[in-house]
Amino acid sequence: MKEKILSKHFVLENFYKIDVYLQKKGYQAVKKALNEKTPENILEEVKAANLRGRGGAGFPAGVKWSFVPQQVDKPKYLCVNADEGEPGTFKDRYIMSHDPHLLLEGIIITSYCVGIHTAFIYIRGEYEAVALRLEKAISEAYKNGFLGKNILESGFDLDVYVHRGAGAYICGEETALLESLEGKRGNPRLKPPFPASIGLFQSPTVINNVETLSNIPSIILKGAKWFCKKGLPEDGGTRIFGVSGMVKKPGIYELSIGTNLKDIIFKHAKGMAEGKKLKAVIPGGLSAPILKADEIDIKMDFDSLVNANSMLGSAAIVVIDEDTSILDVLKVVTRFYSHESCGQCTPCRIGSSWINKIVRRICDGKGKNGDIDNIIRLASNILGNTLCPLGDAAAMPILAIIKKFREEIESYVSN
Amino acid sequence: MKIIIDGKELEVEGKKTILNIAQENDIFIPSLCDHPRLAPFGGCRLCIVEIKGRKNYAPSCCTYADDGMEIKTKTPRLQRLRREILELILSEHPNACLICSEKENCDDYKSTIRKVGETTGCVLCSNNGRCELQDIVETQQIEQVKFPSFYRDFEVKKSDPFFDRNYNLCILCGRCVRICHEVRGASAIAFVNRGSQTVVGTVLDLPLLDSGCQFCGACVDVCPTGALTERAIKYEMLPEETKKSVCPLCSAGCELKIDLMGGKILGSKPSEDGAVNRGQACVKGRFIIRDLVYSPRRILKPLIRANKKLEEVSWEEALDFVTRRLKKYKGKEIALITSPQLSCEDNYLFQKFARERLKTENIGSSYSFSPLAVYHEMSQKNQLGLALNFKIRDISKAKVIFLLGEDLAVSHPLIWLEVLEAVKNGAKLIVASPNELPLNRFSSLWLQIKPGSEFHLLSFLSRILIENGGAGRLSRIEEFDSFKNSLNKLDISQVFEITGITEKELIKTARLLLEEEPAAFLFGMGLTQHPWGSQNVAALQNLALQTQAQLFPLGLENNLRGLFEVGRNYPDKGLAFNKIIQGASSGDIKALYLAGPMPYLNKAKLEFLVLQDCYINENFELADAVLPATTFAETEGTFINEEGRVQRFKKVVEPVGDAKPDWWVISQLACKMGNKGFNYKDVSGIMKEMSKVIPGFSNISYLKLENGKEIFIRDEKKRRKSFIPLKDNGPLYKTSKKYPYLLFVDYSLDYYRSLPLGRESLGLRKIRDSRWIKISPEDAKKLKLDEGESLRVESSSGSFNGFVKIIESMPKGTISTSLLWSEDSDFSAVSFFTGFFQEENALGMLPVKIKRGK
Ligand SMILES: Cc1cc2nc3c(=O)[nH]c(=O)nc-3n(C[C@H](O)[C@H](O)[C@H](O)COP(=O)(O)O)c2cc1C
Ligand code: SF4
Ligand code: SF4
Ligand code: SF4
Ligand code: SF4
Ligand code: SF4
Ligand code: FES
Repeated sequence: MKEKILSKHFVLENFYKIDVYLQKKGYQAVKKALNEKTPENILEEVKAANLRGRGGAGFPAGVKWSFVPQQVDKPKYLCVNADEGEPGTFKDRYIMSHDPHLLLEGIIITSYCVGIHTAFIYIRGEYEAVALRLEKAISEAYKNGFLGKNILESGFDLDVYVHRGAGAYICGEETALLESLEGKRGNPRLKPPFPASIGLFQSPTVINNVETLSNIPSIILKGAKWFCKKGLPEDGGTRIFGVSGMVKKPGIYELSIGTNLKDIIFKHAKGMAEGKKLKAVIPGGLSAPILKADEIDIKMDFDSLVNANSMLGSAAIVVIDEDTSILDVLKVVTRFYSHESCGQCTPCRIGSSWINKIVRRICDGKGKNGDIDNIIRLASNILGNTLCPLGDAAAMPILAIIKKFREEIESYVSN
Repeated sequence: MKIIIDGKELEVEGKKTILNIAQENDIFIPSLCDHPRLAPFGGCRLCIVEIKGRKNYAPSCCTYADDGMEIKTKTPRLQRLRREILELILSEHPNACLICSEKENCDDYKSTIRKVGETTGCVLCSNNGRCELQDIVETQQIEQVKFPSFYRDFEVKKSDPFFDRNYNLCILCGRCVRICHEVRGASAIAFVNRGSQTVVGTVLDLPLLDSGCQFCGACVDVCPTGALTERAIKYEMLPEETKKSVCPLCSAGCELKIDLMGGKILGSKPSEDGAVNRGQACVKGRFIIRDLVYSPRRILKPLIRANKKLEEVSWEEALDFVTRRLKKYKGKEIALITSPQLSCEDNYLFQKFARERLKTENIGSSYSFSPLAVYHEMSQKNQLGLALNFKIRDISKAKVIFLLGEDLAVSHPLIWLEVLEAVKNGAKLIVASPNELPLNRFSSLWLQIKPGSEFHLLSFLSRILIENGGAGRLSRIEEFDSFKNSLNKLDISQVFEITGITEKELIKTARLLLEEEPAAFLFGMGLTQHPWGSQNVAALQNLALQTQAQLFPLGLENNLRGLFEVGRNYPDKGLAFNKIIQGASSGDIKALYLAGPMPYLNKAKLEFLVLQDCYINENFELADAVLPATTFAETEGTFINEEGRVQRFKKVVEPVGDAKPDWWVISQLACKMGNKGFNYKDVSGIMKEMSKVIPGFSNISYLKLENGKEIFIRDEKKRRKSFIPLKDNGPLYKTSKKYPYLLFVDYSLDYYRSLPLGRESLGLRKIRDSRWIKISPEDAKKLKLDEGESLRVESSSGSFNGFVKIIESMPKGTISTSLLWSEDSDFSAVSFFTGFFQEENALGMLPVKIKRGK
C-alpha cells in the first residue's frame, strides 16, 4: 500500500511535538472542518466513508454519532477508548505515542460534529509514559489555540482530559468505562439505554476507539470516496494490524482492510520464526475464535471473518506455531477471562471460573473423562446469556479452540 | 399494548418489565436479583425467557415489554439453562441440604441447629425456612450439582452492631449494595475484587461503623440468603405470626411488621406496603423495638409507698391509694405531665381528667422545640398562615429543596429518602447548616451559616427577591406592604458578616429558588429552637410565599401533633412544662402526676408524686405511687404523624407484668374519683367521643382506618395567605472569655418515654452515644483532648458530663450533644430543655466552657 493513513509519520523523529506536526501540515483537517464545514457536512462524510469502529465491534462511526440527540439540555461528552486491554493489541499505543495530535484532530472534529464541548481520553493505567505524552500534546494544542475556548475563531469550545484506568480489562467495555470515569467501580451497565442517549453522568455520550477517531482527519481532508477506496466499499480505510507470536517480524502493519491474512503473516511479517510450521492464528485479539492453519486464506475485514465464524475485533493477530501446545493457549484464554470477569453476572463469574479450574486441572495432568464436555457446556451456557459482551468474548474462543483442537486436548486429558 | 406470555394474551399498560407483567398475572419466572424497590440489575440470569425473533434469551427483569411480543417462559431448553445457572450458584453455596433427598424427613425430625461457627447447609443456617434461595431451588427441581462444592472461606464479619455478614452464603445478587446506594444513599457497601474473588465489602474492609452505614437494616431485609442476618434473632425459631404496628420513635410513623413467637416479639421490620415508609425504616424501628419492650428496666407491678418504702400491691390497691391521695389536691396545687409519645386516646383522657376531674389547667409535656411546636405556639397567637398538613411523598416531586436546621440522616431518615429521590430526579438541594451534614454530599449548594443566623439569611433572601422584581403578583397578598417595609427597616449592612455567607452564594440561592419549581422548604429544630424561633418561621413563611414553595415543618416526637390536636378545645391557660418544674421546686405545686419524662426531682418540694411509666427512671425512688404502663406494642390507639396522617396501631403482644394501658389507668382513676363520663370499655369509645367533641377529629373512625383509608387530621384553623412583618432579633449568641464555646443540641430523638434507647441498645450506643460531646478536631487538639476522654461542660446555669467525640464536620468553636441523658450526672434526658437552658420556650445555643475530667 502506497500511502498510509495512520502510521505514515510513525518513523519521523519528534513527530509527537506540535511544531514538527505543524511543519508537516498538521491541523489542516481541523482548520478545514471548523472553517469550511458544517457539522452536518462532516456527519455525511463520515457516514459515507463507512468507517467502522476499530475497538472491536465494528459499528459504523457515523451512524453511532447520529444517534446522539440534537437538542438536549444536558452537556454531551466524547469518551475516547484508549484502554487497549485486549491481549495481543498494541496499536493505539503507537498512535498515541507517535502521533498524538492526529488523535487530537480526530477528537476536535468529532466533537465539533456532534456538538460536544468536553472529551475524555480513558487510557489504560499501564500506559503511563503515553499518558504523559498525551497530556503534553494537549497542553501544546491549548497553547496553539486548537483546544479551549473559541478554537480558530470558530466559536467552538472544547476541553480534553486524560483519565488513567486502574488495570481492569472490563473497563474497556464502553459502559464499564463510563462507570469508571464517573469514579465508580467499572461494572458494565445494562443496555438499553445506550450511551448515545444516556451515557457519562446521565448525558448523551459518544464512545470511540483511538484508531477510529484517528481516521477522521484524513476523511475530512481527502473525502469519503478516497477513504472507501483505501479499504472495502462497506468497510472503509486501513487497519493497523498488530502481529505477534512466532513470526519473523512481529510488529504493526497498516494495511488495507480486506488484506489477506496469509499475506500479512507470510509477506509482511516475513513468515514463521525459526522455520516452524504454522499451527493456528487468533485473528482479532484474544476474544476472536481461533483459525487453524488451513483457514487463514481469508480477507481481513469484519464481514469475511464473521463468515468464517471468527471476528476482526481489534485486528491483533496472534500467530501460534507447531511447538505451542493448544492447552497452553486454552489456559491463557481461560485464566484471562475468569480473572477479568467483573463478577456481576452468574454465568460469566462462576462459569468462567469453573472452566478455568477444569483447564488448570487438565494442565496439571489430572484431567478426567467428561471434562471437555463440561467445558463446552459451561461455555455454551455463557454464550448469549450474560450482561455484557465479556461473557461472549470469553466463551467464543474457548468453544472454537475445543472444536478445532479437540483431539489434541483429549490426548492431554487421557494422559 | 398486547403481549403473549406462554400462549396467554395479556393487555399491558405503561412501561413494564416482562417479569413484572408475569408476576402480576401469576406466571412464575424464577428470579433472585430483581427487587421491586430497585432498578433492574440483570445479574443472576435466572429470569431468562425466550422472545420470538430474538437470537438470545432475554433476562425478563430488565427487558421491557413491547407491543406484540411473544414470550415463552417454560421451554425445556430454558428450564435446563436456568437449572444450570442455579447449579453454578449452588456450586459456591453450601448445598448439601438443598439437594438432599431426605430433605422432607429431615425437616420432620431435626430442628435447625443454628448455633454453629460455619454454615455448611440449611440445617445449620439461620435463614433456614425463610430463605428466598431455598424457595427458588425448590421450584427448579435440582437433584444434583455437577460441580464439587467450593467453599470460599470468607471470614464472617461479626464486629458491627445488629447484624452479621457471612459472605460464604452470598450469591452476589447485589440487592444489598443497590438498596444501600439507590434507596438509602449511604453507599456503605460495594462489590470489591473481581472474577471469582468478587465479594461485597466496605472501603478498605473497614467495619460498617466506619463506612457511613446507617444501620437501617435495608440490606438485611432484601438479602435473599442468610448472608446478612440480624444477630438478635439469629438463633431464634421462625416467627409463628406477624402483626402490624406503627413505630413510635419519631415523627415519620413507619409502619412495622412485628414478628412473634410464643406471644413474644422476635423482631420488627418495615412494612412493604406502609404508606409512609414503603418497606424502609431506620435503625430504631428495625433493631430496637424488641429491646424497648423487653427492657429490664420495665416496671412490672404497681407499687405504693407505705412505711417510707415502695411496696408491690395489686392494681386495685394502687388505684385506691392514688384516688385517696389525689383527691386532696385541686387546681393550681396539682400538675400532670404527659408525653407526645402517647396515643391520641391516652392524651385526650389526660386532658379530660386534668380539666374535668382535677380542675387544673396545669397539664404539660416535655417536647422538643421542633417546627410543629413552634407552629402550635404561633397558631395560639393567630399567626399561622400556611397549611400544616403535608405529604412526605411530595418532597420527592420537588425540583428545588431548601433544608434548614436538621440532620436528616439521624433525625428524619424517612425524609432523607424522599430528598434523595428528588435529587435523583434532578432536584437541586440547598442546605443551610453550620456543620457539614451527611446529606450535603447530595447538595448543589451548602450555605455554611454561622450558628443562629438563619433569620438574617432568610430575610436577606426575601429582600433580594423583592428588589429583583417579582413583587407585582405578590403585592396582592395580605400584609405585603408592611412586610416590605419591615424588610427595609432591617439593617443588612452586616448580613455577610453575621451569616458568614457571601453575596455570590446568596444570589445563587435566590436564583435557584426562583428558577426551579416546585420548591419545598424543609425545616427542623435547628431553625425553631432559638428564642426567636417564631420569627425564623415567619421569615421562612414569607420566603415560601415569594417563591410559591411548600413548607414541610418537620416534627420530632411521633405524636406531637396528636398531643396538640386533642388539647385544641381547651384554652391554654395552665403552666408550661418549665413552670411546672419551678412550681414543684418552690412548693406551689404539691402533687405531680407523671406520665411523661421529667428531670430528676430531687430538689422538688412535693407532697405527692405519681409515676405512671413503662420504665424505672431517676424519679422512681421519689414516687409515692408507681403505676406500670404499657408500651405501644401492648396497647392500641392512634398516632398522628408529622404529615397530619392518622395512624391506627393495635396491640401486638400481651403486656409484660401487670402493665396497663395509660388510658385504662386514667379512666379507672376518674371513675373511682366519682366522675361520670370516664367509663370506657376500650379505646374505640374514646375515639368515638373525640370525633364528636374535637372538630379536627370529626372525619376519623377506626373502621375507615382499618379499611386502609388514608385519613389526615382536619386542619380546623382558618388559614390566610398572608405575609408576616419581620422584627430583628437583636444580637446572636455571644461567647465570652469565660464561656468561649457555643453549645448546641443535636436533633436526635433517641428515647422512648423515659428510656434513653442507648441504655438498652449497645448497638445504638456505638452508632451515636447520647453522652458524646462532639467537638472539632482543631478544638480537641487545642485542648489536648482524646477521643473517649471524659469531659465537663459548664455554663452560667449548670453543668454536665460526657465523653469526647471528635467529629470532622463540627465547626470550630462549637460543641454539641444530644438532648438526652448523661448517666453519671444529675442531668437527665429532659433536663436539657429546662434547667440548662434558661429560655422559656427555646433551647437555642449556650456559651459554655469545657474542662477535662468530671
Ligand atoms: C470486555 C470488553 C473490552 C473492551 N475493551 C476495549 C478496549 O480496550 N479498547 C476499545 O477501544 N474498545 C474496547 N471494547 C469495545 C468497546 O466496548 C466499544 O465498543 C468501543 O470502544 C467503541 O468504539 P469504536 O466503535 O470506535 O470501536 C471492549 C469491549 C468489551 C466487551
Ligand atoms: S459478562 Fe462478565 S464482565 Fe460482563 S457483566 Fe457479566 S460478569 Fe461482568
Ligand atoms: S442461605 Fe438459604 S439456601 Fe443457603 S444455607 Fe442458608 S437457608 Fe440454605
Ligand atoms: S444497614 Fe443500611 S446503610 Fe448499612 S449497609 Fe445496610 S443498607 Fe447500607
Ligand atoms: S449479601 Fe445478600 S443481598 Fe448482598 S449480594 Fe450477597 S446475597 Fe445478595
Ligand atoms: S424512628 Fe422514625 S424513621 Fe425510624 S423506624 Fe421509627 S418511625 Fe421510622
Ligand atoms: S432476576 Fe433477572 S437477572 Fe436476576
